[in-house]
Amino acid sequence: MIEVFRDRFEHRHEYAKDWQKRTGGKVLGYFCTYAPEEIMYAAGILPVRVLGGHEPQALTEPHIFGMFCPFCRDCLAQGLKGSFDYLDGIMLSQSCIHLRQAYASWRIHIPVSFQYYLPFPHGVQNKPAYKYLTSELRTFQKAIEEWTGLKISNDALDNSIEVFNKNRRLLRQIFDLRRAKHPPISGLDAMYLALSSQVVDKAEHNVLLEELLKRLQASAPSGNGNSHIRLMLIGSENDDTTFVKMVEGLGADIVIDEHCTGTRYFWNEVEPQEDRLAAIAARYIDRPPCPAKDWPDRRRIPHILSLAKDYGVQGAVLIQQKFCDPHEFDMPAIAESLKKEGVPSYNLEFDVTVPLGQFKIRMEAFLEMLRGEELF
Amino acid sequence: MPGKAIGHYPTEPLKCWNKAKEIRRQYYEDYRTAHDRGGLRWGGGAWTLDALVWGLGDDCHLLTTEPYSASIAFNKELSAKCLEAAEAKGYARDLCAYVRNYIGGIILDKYAFGGPFPKLDFIFQEQLCCSQAKWYQVVSELEGGVPMYSIDLSVGPYKELNETRLQYLVEQMQDGIEWLQKTTGRKFDDWKMIQAIYNECRCTSTWAEICCLNKNIPAPLDEKTMHSLYSLATLNKPSKVVADYYEELLDEVKDRVARGIAGVGTERCRVITDTQPPWGFLSLYRYLESYGCVSVGSLYVFGLEGNFEVKPDGTWGARTTPQQAGITFNNREEALRYYADWNMSRPQFQHFYGPEYKTEMLLRIAKEWKLDGVILHYNRGCEGLSIGVAENRLGLINAGIPVMTYEGNMADEREFDEDRAHARVDSFMENLGLERLVAAHG
Amino acid sequence: MITVGIDMGAKTTKVAILRDGQVLARGLTPTGFDQQEAAEKALAEALGQAGLQKSDVARIFVTGVGRQQASFANGALTEVAADAKGSLLLNRDLRTVIDVGAEEGRAIKCTAEGKVADFAINEKCAAGAGSFVEAMSRALEVPLEKMGEMSLRSKNAVAMNAQCTVFAESEVVSLVHAKTPKEDIVRALHDAIANRIVSMARRVGVQETVGLIGGVAYNVGFVDALRRCLEVGSVWVPPEPEYVGAIGAAVAAAEAA
Repeated sequence: MIEVFRDRFEHRHEYAKDWQKRTGGKVLGYFCTYAPEEIMYAAGILPVRVLGGHEPQALTEPHIFGMFCPFCRDCLAQGLKGSFDYLDGIMLSQSCIHLRQAYASWRIHIPVSFQYYLPFPHGVQNKPAYKYLTSELRTFQKAIEEWTGLKISNDALDNSIEVFNKNRRLLRQIFDLRRAKHPPISGLDAMYLALSSQVVDKAEHNVLLEELLKRLQASAPSGNGNSHIRLMLIGSENDDTTFVKMVEGLGADIVIDEHCTGTRYFWNEVEPQEDRLAAIAARYIDRPPCPAKDWPDRRRIPHILSLAKDYGVQGAVLIQQKFCDPHEFDMPAIAESLKKEGVPSYNLEFDVTVPLGQFKIRMEAFLEMLRGEELF
Repeated sequence: MPGKAIGHYPTEPLKCWNKAKEIRRQYYEDYRTAHDRGGLRWGGGAWTLDALVWGLGDDCHLLTTEPYSASIAFNKELSAKCLEAAEAKGYARDLCAYVRNYIGGIILDKYAFGGPFPKLDFIFQEQLCCSQAKWYQVVSELEGGVPMYSIDLSVGPYKELNETRLQYLVEQMQDGIEWLQKTTGRKFDDWKMIQAIYNECRCTSTWAEICCLNKNIPAPLDEKTMHSLYSLATLNKPSKVVADYYEELLDEVKDRVARGIAGVGTERCRVITDTQPPWGFLSLYRYLESYGCVSVGSLYVFGLEGNFEVKPDGTWGARTTPQQAGITFNNREEALRYYADWNMSRPQFQHFYGPEYKTEMLLRIAKEWKLDGVILHYNRGCEGLSIGVAENRLGLINAGIPVMTYEGNMADEREFDEDRAHARVDSFMENLGLERLVAAHG
Repeated sequence: MITVGIDMGAKTTKVAILRDGQVLARGLTPTGFDQQEAAEKALAEALGQAGLQKSDVARIFVTGVGRQQASFANGALTEVAADAKGSLLLNRDLRTVIDVGAEEGRAIKCTAEGKVADFAINEKCAAGAGSFVEAMSRALEVPLEKMGEMSLRSKNAVAMNAQCTVFAESEVVSLVHAKTPKEDIVRALHDAIANRIVSMARRVGVQETVGLIGGVAYNVGFVDALRRCLEVGSVWVPPEPEYVGAIGAAVAAAEAA
């Protein structure tokens, strides 16, 4: 059944165009997962995540200095190529400096009828952030209402929040099943689940997830010991399915992740509050943080360690987009914390495309090392 | 074309140059010996809201990260060791170059001005670019857990500053003051903070006034000289010493203008740069001068600390200080609101929200400072100040301003190719129709 | 009037003799360690070819990285300006000139008068320069001069994933082991370098007619890859592309009346 999710993700542009025809609604592309999608969805908008195309491109050099991460350049390239011509608008929830440039150049050079820069706070650990973000969300809501010509009622927000919460709940329930000795779905499969959620109507996605969950719960994988090494993927934006497939083909199970396009996207729900916008604000402020927002305390690390423990992780692959400063600040601390818990890690830098041959050799060596540790 | 004839302006060294050096020397010495005098040592960046810490007393000494890291970078040998130490510890090579120099220094336990690295008592920082607070998170860990508080400044551009955004800043500052009291055990004195705010406003406004004097032809100061002068503001902008110094400097520069004294006597072509220079290769400016081309400033030198406003005649001038405007602060809240506003209007805070803000400023400077071109440093070492640089380039070109770009790194000399940068200058000068002043042949 | 242009490159020194807009003769010699000596040698060769004496020459201009070393020159100009002038002399319709040398790739936007309107240079990345092709020819054990025609024989576009020369080399080895036809690999390599060059060229804006000069222009495979990546009908290549800089210097010498 995973093929359905894979299909949704791989044909996301066709899906969005078709959705526009079906519903007559607007599609809003967002660049960072701090985007308050619930508000957009409540206005009948389909929020879709802008992702790269994983093909070498020759379009962005005039716009973004090459020392900024490949992901932001890849996103802009897709925009400049016309892959996202169907977008009615774009928005960015302020996070890292790199992605900001993809948004800015897009705004300047690619015509859209709506653009919004939300100054999402970096200081998520400072108490005043809640009130501040709530007020910024109110302004954002007004802008969306003006654009769509629709007033967003509390009911609409409640409904939207429930759709999103349900999606997060279902994903977590399915991901939870991977704690088993024989995970019923592979890391690659799980990736398609998370990725497809970011590009389709979540109400439709929920139906599919429910069906999948039913099937997975019904079948119980049996068998003897699983000789596969249990890995965790930690890092920045990662939708490199080729890489994940390669690693799992080497006798490893990627059982959980803590990265931008994976669990960080859907981990926590909106807790109800009278002020719906305050509730949404709290959800995004309290979510597993992007490193750019994880200071002064390190909240990411306890979360990572608890995931590693929960999922019986034996080794971690730390992936980051090349040149990503926020992640580079975190990597040494993450590696050290994991090491203290007996989980070795391996760093890899990702580009728009990755040298599979090279990475295969390294992963093989890493897995060999992990297997060796099991013997003693 | 303006500036073609070789300039023959008289030049003079600055009379108060040595005083600047002394202030800097004393600053680094005060930091090191703070404990001896019962004072405290603290860490923060050039944009930290340091006037708040002055509320704890004037014996709290800040080691401002960026200029300190630049000092390390200036010393190529020490810098190489620091960079390697940071990289050996797992910090990526493309990480902010200042960070790697600073962290490396802590790992090696070396103070750039001699002796071991004097440990921090607390950290009071801000976050605007992605690195600032993260940097100190690492520093705190490396030093065994230094207490840290950081204020989020990323509320959007100044022209869109509204009440809720201002409130967010002020509330963080209020929390910060409570935190300072709790962490240091000292009682906070609003009056001391207010004096510090007045000084900071005076300091950063006076610096802007000095920068504006460079609108004159010939420019009384050149960028290279200005580096050593503006940096005092990054070290200690709320201090009376620096504010007083800038007033003295302003008088001297006014006098230079009156007498037609130039920063570079052969000035015939005027440019500015946009961000930090490659600190280990300031000779690049001398190379420019070999064409009679002078950099009369930089958005970075002007607006990293300097504060400007648009005057009634539509041109840029120094931002009016509260003292000049007759504004007094009756209580903590008022002072904090003003202080937040003052900081938000800073020129180099704007481009984080869109490249057009910086392009607009560069175009304004090009017009008012009568420039022949702009040099953009594609600075690998600093994401915060090179965000949007490619769009800035397009914006300048579209407006018909000659632009030169060169790639480099302000604090990692391995990433700067002097010969290639010179070649870029050669091509740029060629395009502007200028030949080297000293004949290259025969 | 007879003028001379000398392009003192890192690897080779080229000379061109110009009379009234016509190229009379050329000379080329490896630069070696003594740039002055190489310049004199190449000049002598060209003069001999043209049947001229040094005294017949009105002015000598130099360009290239070694241009500071030519004591006998009357003037100098950067390679960027020389490329523009030389290219426009040979083809008045050029508006974008791409020069790929051993170490550097350049893209120059030219005016109709041969002036430089804008330019971009590939910084610190070997994957956008000639040495990339050389490294790959070694990895594939294909003679450098055969790389171009071999790539034209390819019928399949194979994706090259590695963005870096160092990685590309081992990726090539993997492809060979996977029995990928050599023509396809060679073509992929040319596509990859063309991609990087075009990426840089777009910084100055690509306007037709596009010309390719420099040693790599001899590589028909690269010319084809460039043409496809630029999405233009054709890319103009002069008959002897490595002399364009020297010719440009000679043009500058003639203009300096």
